[in-house]
Amino acid sequence: MNGTPYVRVENLVYRYLDGTEALRDVSFTLADGDFVALIGQNGSGKTTVSKCLNGLFKPTAGRVIVDGLDTRTTSITDMAVRVGYVFQNPDHQLFNSNVWDEIAYGPRNIQRPADEVKARVEEAVEVVGLKPETFDQHPFFLPKGLRQRVAIASILALRPKVIIVDEPTTGQDMKQSLEIMDFLTHLHKDRGHIVVIITHDMPIVARYAERVVLMARGQGLADGPTRDIFAQPELLAQTFVEPPQITQLAQAAAALGFAPGTLSVEEMLRQFEALR
Amino acid sequence: MTAAIRFEAYTWRYTGTQEPALKNVNLDIEQGTVVGIIGPNGSGKTTLAYSMNGLVPNQYRGARKGSVYVMEKEVMDFSQAQLCQQVGLVFSDPEAQFTAMTVEDEVVFGMENIGLTLDEIRARLDWVVPLTEIEPLMDKPPYEVSGGQKQRVALASVLAMRPPVIVLDEPTSMLDPLGRKRVFEVLGRLKREYQSTIVVIEHSLEYLVPLADVMVLLYHGEVLLVDEALPFFERMDDLLAHDVFPPGVLEFFYRLKVAGHYPVPSPLPLTVPSGAMQLRALMEVAR
Amino acid sequence: MAVMHKTILGYVPDVSPIYRIHPFVRLFFLLVVSLFPMLISAPEWNLAIILVVILLLSYSKVRFATLKLYIPVSISMGVLIFSSYTILGGRHPEFRTVFTVLGFPFYYERIIAAVEVYARVLPMIFVMVLFLSTSRERDMLVAMRWARVPFVITYLTAMALRAVGMVIEDFSVVRQAEKARGFDPTGKSLAYKLRQFVMYIVPLFALALRRSDEFANAIVARGYSFTGLQNVSRPDYVLTKYRFRRMDGVLVAAISLVLVLILAARLGFGYLTLETSAVLRLLERWLGGGAT
Repeated sequence: MNGTPYVRVENLVYRYLDGTEALRDVSFTLADGDFVALIGQNGSGKTTVSKCLNGLFKPTAGRVIVDGLDTRTTSITDMAVRVGYVFQNPDHQLFNSNVWDEIAYGPRNIQRPADEVKARVEEAVEVVGLKPETFDQHPFFLPKGLRQRVAIASILALRPKVIIVDEPTTGQDMKQSLEIMDFLTHLHKDRGHIVVIITHDMPIVARYAERVVLMARGQGLADGPTRDIFAQPELLAQTFVEPPQITQLAQAAAALGFAPGTLSVEEMLRQFEALR
Repeated sequence: MTAAIRFEAYTWRYTGTQEPALKNVNLDIEQGTVVGIIGPNGSGKTTLAYSMNGLVPNQYRGARKGSVYVMEKEVMDFSQAQLCQQVGLVFSDPEAQFTAMTVEDEVVFGMENIGLTLDEIRARLDWVVPLTEIEPLMDKPPYEVSGGQKQRVALASVLAMRPPVIVLDEPTSMLDPLGRKRVFEVLGRLKREYQSTIVVIEHSLEYLVPLADVMVLLYHGEVLLVDEALPFFERMDDLLAHDVFPPGVLEFFYRLKVAGHYPVPSPLPLTVPSGAMQLRALMEVAR
Repeated sequence: MAVMHKTILGYVPDVSPIYRIHPFVRLFFLLVVSLFPMLISAPEWNLAIILVVILLLSYSKVRFATLKLYIPVSISMGVLIFSSYTILGGRHPEFRTVFTVLGFPFYYERIIAAVEVYARVLPMIFVMVLFLSTSRERDMLVAMRWARVPFVITYLTAMALRAVGMVIEDFSVVRQAEKARGFDPTGKSLAYKLRQFVMYIVPLFALALRRSDEFANAIVARGYSFTGLQNVSRPDYVLTKYRFRRMDGVLVAAISLVLVLILAARLGFGYLTLETSAVLRLLERWLGGGAT
C-alpha cells in the first residue's frame, strides 16, 4: 500500500436476494498509487466485491467508504465520477450511434458545460489512442479491441480516480493483452489512477500488478505484494489458482536455491547465473 | 495413411473484405495426432476451423479457391449431416453454444439429428458422460452450469456423434483456470485412450504444448510454420517475431540454450516437472 | 421447508409428488382447466377452481412465499377490471346506482359484471401459476413433444426460453453497466427515463445479434437440418425419461370428463350461470335489492 487511502472496505458482507452469502467479512483498503489484481476462482466473490466498490451493490452489512463517502448513501452519479467500472464485454456498455457521443455521454450526463465536455472527450480519446477517423463510426461495427478502448474512454471521460477493469485480457491474444495492460500501467503511473483488475491471467498479474488480493468463498484470503502471494502455492490452491508457470518452476526447484516468489523468466535467468 | 484433413492451396475471402482470411493454405492433419494451431487474433484460425467442418462455405458467403479434403473427400461433396459425423467442432463461447434446456438434452441433440436409435443413444451416453465427467450435471438447466462445465458438455455433445476428427476453436479462452484444466484433461484422455484426431486452436499454450504432436503457426492467413512440437518451439525467435509468446518454462530453457548453458541437442522441456528435472541436472553439471 | 429452484418463468420445488405425473398431463391441465372459467359465470364455482388449485399447490410442495411475485399481477388485474367496468364505464341512467364517490355513480349491474369477470380471470391466473410453479423448462418441452407438436416448434420454444434466460441475464448486466456510467434515473424527468430505453435496447440487441451467429453455427455443426413442419421421426430420447402411466391416462380422462360435465351443466341445464348463482344473491342483498 502506498499513499493516502481512497477506498476503505470495512467488514463487508453481501447477501443476494435469495439468501446466498457472496461476501462475508471482507476488509481492505485502496490507496493512491495502488495497482491491484483481484484473483480467485469463479464464485470467490471478486466480481461481487468490485461491484461494491462503486455502489453497484450496496453492502448487506459493513460498509465501503470512497473518498469519504459511504456507498450506501451516495448517489450513483457521485460514485461514477470517483470509481469507474469497465465491464468485460464492451457490448454491455456501448449504446450511442457514434464514438464521440458515446464518450461524451458521461460528462453530458453530469451536466458539464459543452466546452468542458469537448475537452474531456478529447482528453480521453488521446489517452486511449483512438484516431479521429473513428469518431463518426457506430461502436457496434468496430473490432473488439477498439470497442474496448471506446468503453474505457467513456469511463475515463468521467475522470474517476479508481478504474476497475473486469477481465482485461480474456479472449485477447498476447500482443493485445500486453497493449491493454501497458495502457493500464500508463493510467496508473502517469495519470495517477488507482487501477484494479479482476483476472484469471496469472502471468499478466505477475508482470503488471504490484499487489494482489486473493479471494476464496467470499472472503479475502490474502492481501499483499504479488511476489509474496505467488510464493505460497498452497494458499493459492485453496481457491484453485496456480501461479504462472515460471513461478511453478522456481518452486519445483526451490531445493536448488530458486526463490519461490520468482515472477519472470528474466528473474529466473538471473538466479540461474548467480547459482551456477 | 490418408490424412484426416488436407488443405490444398486453400484460399478463402469473406464477401465484403479486401484481404482473404486464408491464403494458399497447404496443410495435412494426420489421423490420430493432436495438432495445435496458434497465431495472433485475426490470423484466420477460426476460418480454418470452420473450413474443416463445412461452416465455411455453407454458412458464410465468400470466394473459395483450392480444396479441403476430409478423409480424402472434398468438404463440398458432403451433406452437413454427413460432415458433422466426420468433423466435430467445439466453439469458444460456452453460452452461445448451449441451445437446449438441460445438459442431457444438449448432449443428445446431435445424436438425434443424425438419426441414431434409442439404444445407440443410450450406449453413447454411457461412454461420453463419464469421459467428460458431466454425470452430476445431467438434469441441470444451462443457467445452473458454469462456463467450464458448459464446455465439457459441448465436448460431450460433439463426441457423442463419434466424429473421427474433433476441432476446438479456442475452447478455454473464456474459462477460469480450473475450467481450462478440466477441458484439457478430457482432451488428454481422448488422446491416450482413443487416439482421436484432435485439432486445438489456442492462445494459452501451457496445457496445449505438452499435449500437441504437431504445431502450426498461422499468421495473417498464411501457414508460416508446421512442425512437431519440440522442433517448432526451437524456432522461438520466429515465434516471438510473429506475436506468439511461449509458456514460461519453454522460454526459460530456450534462453538458457541461446546463452550456451543448455546442451544444444537436448530437447526443451515442456512441463514444470521435466523442467525442474533438467534444472537439477544442469546445476549438478555446473558444480 | 421446501427448497425452491429458480427457473426462467418462476420457482419450482426441488422435490415434489407432482413430478410423478407426466408433463403432458400438467400441460393438459393448464390448457383445459383454463377454459373452465370461460364457461362458468357464477363466481362461487370459479372460486372453487381457485381452491382446487391452492390444494394442488400445497400437494406439490410449492412454497407459498415464492408465489408473492404473482400478487401484483392479480391485484392490478382486479383494479383494471373494476375500474374499467365502473369508473370508465360511463354514465348509464338505466342502471341502478348503488353508491356514489365524488359525484360519480357506481352501478349495481356494473359491479356485478366486474365481480363476474374478475372471478373468471383469477382462476386462469392461478392455473397458470400452478403450471409455472410445477414445471421446469424441460417438462414443457416434453409435454409438447409427447403431444406430437412438430419438432421445429418445440425447438423454437426451447430456444425462445433459452434466449429469454440470456436476455434476462444480459439485462441485469446492462443495467449495472449503465449505472457505472453515472446513469441514475431516480427523480429525473420522463425524457431522461425514456433514454433509459435506448440504453438497454441497443446493448441487448448487440449482444443478441453477435450471439445469434454462433447459436446458428452450433446447431448446424451438430447436423440439424430444417425439415419444416413435417414430423420427420426423431428418436425423442428425452421422452424415454418419462413414463406415461395408467394414472396419467386416468387424470387426462378425468379432466376431460369435468369439461364435458361443465359443458352439459351450462349448455344443457343452465347451471353455473349468474342467475343461479348463490354468491350473486348474497351480493344483491348486500348492495340493496336486485332486479325485480
